[in-house]
Amino acid sequence: MLDFSILLNNLDTYLEGFKNTVLASIIALLGSFIIGVIVAVMRIAPIKPLNWIGSAYVEFIRNIPLLVIAFFFYYGLPAIGVTLPAFVAGTIALAIYTASFIAEAIRAGIQSVPKGQMEAARSSGLTYLQTMRTIILPQAIKIVIPPIGNQFINLVKNSAILGMIAGLDLMYFGDLVSSRTFVTFPVYIFVAMFYLVLTIPLSLGVGYLERRLARSN
Amino acid sequence: MIRFDSVNKYFGNFHVLKNINLEINKGEVVVVIGPSGSGKSTLLRCINRLETITDGELTVNDLKVNDKKTDINQLRRNIGMVFQHFHLYPHKTVLENITTAPIKVLKQSKEEAEKVARSYLEKVGIPEKANSYPAQLSGGQQQRVAIARGLAMKPEIILFDEPTSALDPEMIGEVLDVMKALAKEGMTMVVVTHEMGFAREVADRIIFMDQGQILEQGKPADFYANPKEERARLFLSRILNH
Ligand SMILES: Nc1ncnc2c1ncn2[C@@H]1O[C@H](COP(=O)(O)OP(=O)(O)O)[C@@H](O)[C@H]1O
Ligand SMILES: [Mg+2]
Repeated sequence: MLDFSILLNNLDTYLEGFKNTVLASIIALLGSFIIGVIVAVMRIAPIKPLNWIGSAYVEFIRNIPLLVIAFFFYYGLPAIGVTLPAFVAGTIALAIYTASFIAEAIRAGIQSVPKGQMEAARSSGLTYLQTMRTIILPQAIKIVIPPIGNQFINLVKNSAILGMIAGLDLMYFGDLVSSRTFVTFPVYIFVAMFYLVLTIPLSLGVGYLERRLARSN
Repeated sequence: MIRFDSVNKYFGNFHVLKNINLEINKGEVVVVIGPSGSGKSTLLRCINRLETITDGELTVNDLKVNDKKTDINQLRRNIGMVFQHFHLYPHKTVLENITTAPIKVLKQSKEEAEKVARSYLEKVGIPEKANSYPAQLSGGQQQRVAIARGLAMKPEIILFDEPTSALDPEMIGEVLDVMKALAKEGMTMVVVTHEMGFAREVADRIIFMDQGQILEQGKPADFYANPKEERARLFLSRILNH
């Protein structure tokens, strides 16, 4: 059976890691959403150079392993004189990486709104931005919420990358407990459970939203 | 009021509008007919710059539609457009569909805009649908809402692109009736439609397009009775005998 004394004896350590994982997830979640919206707008705005920059961002970032991006910010940046704490470097990497997927989800959602909606609104004299805000985005949001929710779940799981660069997260402290106690199997079972505490509610929430949005159509 | 001067338009290498010269006067009702793919929609969509012309000059109220100095939103508020597939906003009620542009563009207050909207709903015969969503309406009702939405901006010109082609036959009449009433009130209208009854009753002029050109134009009675161009004759016999 699972030896719960491992958990209880190291509860503080686990909780410290859990707290930092939650913190990194929330910051990266907000950051990735903001960057994602900006990149999505760049991809679809009627301005060619912005389209290119947006596309380049998405194609580069999502095709690089997250680990490489995290190493770049933690080990790479000091070479040009910028040293970031591991937690900060890891969280930035997480936000930048997830943003590329969120941008794609938003772009796909916006482009799934029929072209006639833009034409009807523009032909009535609304500006591009007014049309986006009042006509296109409210329709796109329904399509966009489920995939974005799934990206947030991925983000929480991917935050374990912080453990690779001593980012003081759940994974990092799990490793620490394991090396202190010379126990592996139960230690990581408990780590997994902490992640589930975060991801299962998120997953249920996404499922709930998905069903509600499906019904409202 | 609308003036095409040697206008050409290309989609890539495809010459979709060929040397169009056309003048439409205030209060005139012009019906555009022609085979599918002949450029009717494109012609219409150039007038409010949903499509840009490649060369020539196109003016509305003496304003160059494609000039950088022309405030396109200012121009567009004066030109209503009704589409084949209505393009109502599905997430907004009928009332909101009609009031969005008056509130955002004309800066009307919500109360004022709603009052105007209701009066136009009355006019198109469905005042009781103000709080419905588009999905709850029949095609004919949706198209009448779309017309009310256009009217609420008090435009000088309304463009109609096959407004009854997507409707079940029994709903065509109700939409045409609204359009006829508008025509008789003196609205300037450019209408792409093959509804001959409508054209005969209210059109001042028929324009026949084929392969990107205006091949023939004339008064409805003359044109339908005796089209001069062979291709116009062929086309008419085809839409009459189907
Ligand atoms: N955005 C576009 N890009 C390329 N070709 C187009 C586009 N829109 C229309 N066309 C082409 O231009 C021609 C005229 O189209 P359209 O004006 O819609 O004709 P109509 O309304 O008379 O059926 C057609 O051959 C059509 O395929
Ligand atoms: Mg057409």
